[in-house]
Amino acid sequence: MKIGVFIPELLRHLFKKPATVDYPFEKLEVPRGFRGSPYLRPELCIVCRACERDCPAEAIEITAINEAEKRFRMIIHNDRCIHCAQCVDSCPTEAMLMDDRFEISDYSRLNLKMEWEYVRAVVKPKSEQKS
Amino acid sequence: MATVNTLIYLIIYPGLLFLFLYSTFVEWYDRKLYARFQNRMGPTHTGKFGLLQPIADFFKLMAKEDIVPERADRKMFSALPAFGLAIVFTAMLLIPVWNYSLDRPSVISFSGDIIVVLYLLSLPTFIFFLAGWSSTNLFSIVGGARVLTMLFGYEVPLFLAVLSPAVLANSWRLAEIAAFYRQHPALIPVNLLGFVIALICVQAKLERTPFDIPHAETEIVGGTFTEYSGKKLAIFRLMMDAEMVVAAGLLATVFLGGFPGGPLLGLINFIVKTLFVIFFLALIRATTSRIRVDQVVTFSWKYLAPLAVLQLLITILVKGLIS
Amino acid sequence: MKFQIPIGPQHPALKEPIGLRITVEGEIIRDADLRLGYNHRGLEKLAEQKTWIQNIYLAERICGICSHSHTTCYVQGVEKLMELEPPKRGLYIRTLVAELERVHSHLLWLGVAGHEAGFDSFFMYTWRDREIVMDILETITGNRVHYGINTIGGVRRDLDEMQVKHILDSLEILRKRSEYYRNLGTTEPSFVARLAGVGYLSPEDAVALCAVGPTLRASGIARDVRKDDPYAVYEEVPFEVCTADTCDVLGRAVVRIKELFQSYNIIEYLLKNLPAGPIAVRAPRRAKPNEVVSRYEAPRGENIHYIKSNGTDKPERLKVRAPTLANYAATIKMLKNGFIADVPLIFAAIDPCICCAERAVSVVDARSGEEKIIPMNTLKQLSQKISYGKEKKRVAEWPL
Repeated sequence: MKIGVFIPELLRHLFKKPATVDYPFEKLEVPRGFRGSPYLRPELCIVCRACERDCPAEAIEITAINEAEKRFRMIIHNDRCIHCAQCVDSCPTEAMLMDDRFEISDYSRLNLKMEWEYVRAVVKPKSEQKS
Repeated sequence: MATVNTLIYLIIYPGLLFLFLYSTFVEWYDRKLYARFQNRMGPTHTGKFGLLQPIADFFKLMAKEDIVPERADRKMFSALPAFGLAIVFTAMLLIPVWNYSLDRPSVISFSGDIIVVLYLLSLPTFIFFLAGWSSTNLFSIVGGARVLTMLFGYEVPLFLAVLSPAVLANSWRLAEIAAFYRQHPALIPVNLLGFVIALICVQAKLERTPFDIPHAETEIVGGTFTEYSGKKLAIFRLMMDAEMVVAAGLLATVFLGGFPGGPLLGLINFIVKTLFVIFFLALIRATTSRIRVDQVVTFSWKYLAPLAVLQLLITILVKGLIS
Repeated sequence: MKFQIPIGPQHPALKEPIGLRITVEGEIIRDADLRLGYNHRGLEKLAEQKTWIQNIYLAERICGICSHSHTTCYVQGVEKLMELEPPKRGLYIRTLVAELERVHSHLLWLGVAGHEAGFDSFFMYTWRDREIVMDILETITGNRVHYGINTIGGVRRDLDEMQVKHILDSLEILRKRSEYYRNLGTTEPSFVARLAGVGYLSPEDAVALCAVGPTLRASGIARDVRKDDPYAVYEEVPFEVCTADTCDVLGRAVVRIKELFQSYNIIEYLLKNLPAGPIAVRAPRRAKPNEVVSRYEAPRGENIHYIKSNGTDKPERLKVRAPTLANYAATIKMLKNGFIADVPLIFAAIDPCICCAERAVSVVDARSGEEKIIPMNTLKQLSQKISYGKEKKRVAEWPL
C-alpha cells in the first residue's frame, strides 16, 4: 500500500484538455455505418413487405392507396423505431437505408412520423441480381 | 471613523458580503479543480468560466419548494440553518484579516481568540447532528450519529495540531501568532507535520471525501440533509462553503504567517493563501475514496493523534532550543 | 436498538429499482430481505408473440450492459433448433463483440465500484477509458449499447482491415490503462480499506447458493461456461479462467481486472486468426417443434435461455435466467453482519442488473400488507376472461 498513488496522475491532468465534450455546442462525429433513423428510397421499393413483417417494433406500415395504379403509402413511426436496422437487412432491393442523425427527439410523436407515397418500383431483388 | 470601519468590517469586508461572494468563488474553485483533476470540464457556462455557477445554484435552491417533514420539530428544523450560518460568519470575523491592532486587543482580536475560533468551528458539527436528529428520517438519524462519531475522531488531533504553533509563538492570539511567524519565517517548517494533520482534520470537519460519511449519498441518501430542501438547504450549502473559507483562513493564519499588509495587500494575501490551502483540500478529495466511520475513528486515534502529540513535542523542543 | 432501513426501490446507490429491507443494530446489519418485481416488463410473454427474427431485438433489450450476451444466448439456441451451422468468420466476429462487451462491462463495473465507495476520480477515469471500447463497438456494429450484430445464422456486419487495425491499436492503450488501474485499485489505501474483507462469501456457501460469474470465481472456484461448456469459438481460443481466493469485494474486483487482460488476449487472438469467408448463412423462417437450453458466460456470470418451438415462426416459450438472479441468494448471505456503509459495495459487487432478473411480480395488498404470488395459470385464466370474445389486434394501439 502506498499513500497518494493517484496524485501524479491527477496533477498531470490538471492542465490537460478535458476528455469530455462541451456537448450541445460542439459535437462528435458519428462513425460510418452508424444506425440512425431508417428512411425509404421510394424509387426502389417493390412493396414486398419484408420490412413490415420483420420490424420488431412494428414501426413500419405499408398501405395500398390504389391497388390498380400500384400506388402505396409507407409510414415509418420513428417514435416506435428501435434503430436496429433489421429493415435494412430484410430489404431485398436496398430501398431502406439508415441515416446518421441521432438528435431526433421532438415534443410530439406525430412530428416523428415519416411518410412516403409512391408507385411500386420494378427492380430485381438483390439475390436475383447476383444469380 | 471607528464606527464606519466596524460597519465595513461587519457588512462588507470580511463580513457578510465578502464572505458570501468569496464562499461562492471558493466553491467554484473547488469544483473546477476537482473536475480538472478528473479530466472533466467543471462549470463552464454561467458567467465567465462558470464563475457564477455557485451563485446561480444558490438562487435556484432559494426559489425551490421548501418542505418540512410532518413529524419534525418545526422550529428547530427551520432555525438550525440560520444558527449555523451565523456561527460560521462570526468565526470569520475573528480571523485577523484587517482592522485589528497588534498592540491593542479589541473585540475581534484578543488573547485566546484561537480557542474561540476552534470552538466556533466545532459548533457546526453539532448543528449537523441536530439537523439530522430533528428531521426524524432514518437516513438523517444514521447520518447524525455518524457526524458525532466522527467528531470524537478528528477533534482532538485538530486541536493539538492547531495549538502547537501557538505554543511555539507563545501566544493565544491569532494575530500575534501570525506576526511571530512573519518575523521568524525559518520556524514555519517546524510545523509542517501539524499542517498536514490539520489539513486532514479540516477535511473531516468539512465532511468531504474521504470523510463525507455523514452524507454519503450511495449509503444513506442525503444523510443529515436528506429532508432539507429549498432555502434551508441553500443556507446549509452556503454555510459549508463559508466554513471552508474560515477553516482555510485559520490554517493560513496559524501555519502560513497570516495576512500582512493593509486592506488591499491583506486581501491579496488572504486569497492566495486560502486558495493554496483549498488546493490541498481538493487534492485530498480527488485522491481518496470514502472510508467507513469506524475506520475514521481508528485512523484518527492510531495515526493522527500520536502524530499530533509528536508535533507538540517537536514544538516544545524547538521552543526550548531557541529560547 | 434494532430498526429497519429501506434501501430502495428508489435510492442513490441503486441504478434500478429493487427493494432491500435491512434490519440494523446501530451500523451493523442483522438481517436483509430482497423485494423483486418493481421492474417487471412481461418480456417472456411478449416473446411468444414475436417472430424468431424480431425476438433477437427483444432479447437484446433484456439488458443494456450485456445486450450481446442475451442475443448470443438466444441466437445460439435458435440455431440449434433450426439446425444451422454459422460460418467460422461469423462466429469469430460474434465472439469478438462478446469479449469487447466484457471489457466494457468490467470497466464500467470498476467505475461503479469506485463511485459506490465514494472514489469519484477512479470512476471518472475508468469511464473515460471505457469510451475507447464503446467507440470500437460503435464503429464495428453501428451502435454503442444495443449492438444488434447477431442474426440467426451468423452476424450482420463484417469487419474490414481498417477496423481490425483500429481495434489492435486501441487495445494497446487499454492494456496500459488497465495495468494502471490494477496498481491503483490494489494500492490506494482508502480504497483497499473499503474493499478488503467486505462481503465475505466462503467457497462452500458460494457453491451452495449457486453464485455465478466473478462472484463465484472470487471465492476460488474456477467455473466458467466458456471453459466448461465451450460455445462459439472458445474451444480454439487460449485463455485462462481467473480466480481469486480472498472471497471478498476486493477479490471480485481483482477477478474482473484479471479477466480484462484475458479478454484483451482473446480479442488479439481472434483478430489475428480471423478466417475469411461468409459471415452468415440464410435462416429459415420456421423451426421444427423442439426445445433447447442455451448457456453463455455473460460478464456477470452464467446466462441461460430455454427456448421451445412449436413449428411456427414464433417461439412457444422463451425463459431467461439472467446471472443476477442466481447471485441474489449469495448477496443476502454477504450482507449479513456487515456495516450499512458496505451495502452499496456488496450489492454492486455482484454487478446487479435488476430488470434482467425480474421474472415475477408479487402482489401486495396495500391495506393489509398481505403478499401473494400469482401463478401462471391464474394469470392466463384472467387474461382469457378479459379478452374473451374480443377482436384480436395485430398492431398495438399507441396512446397517440
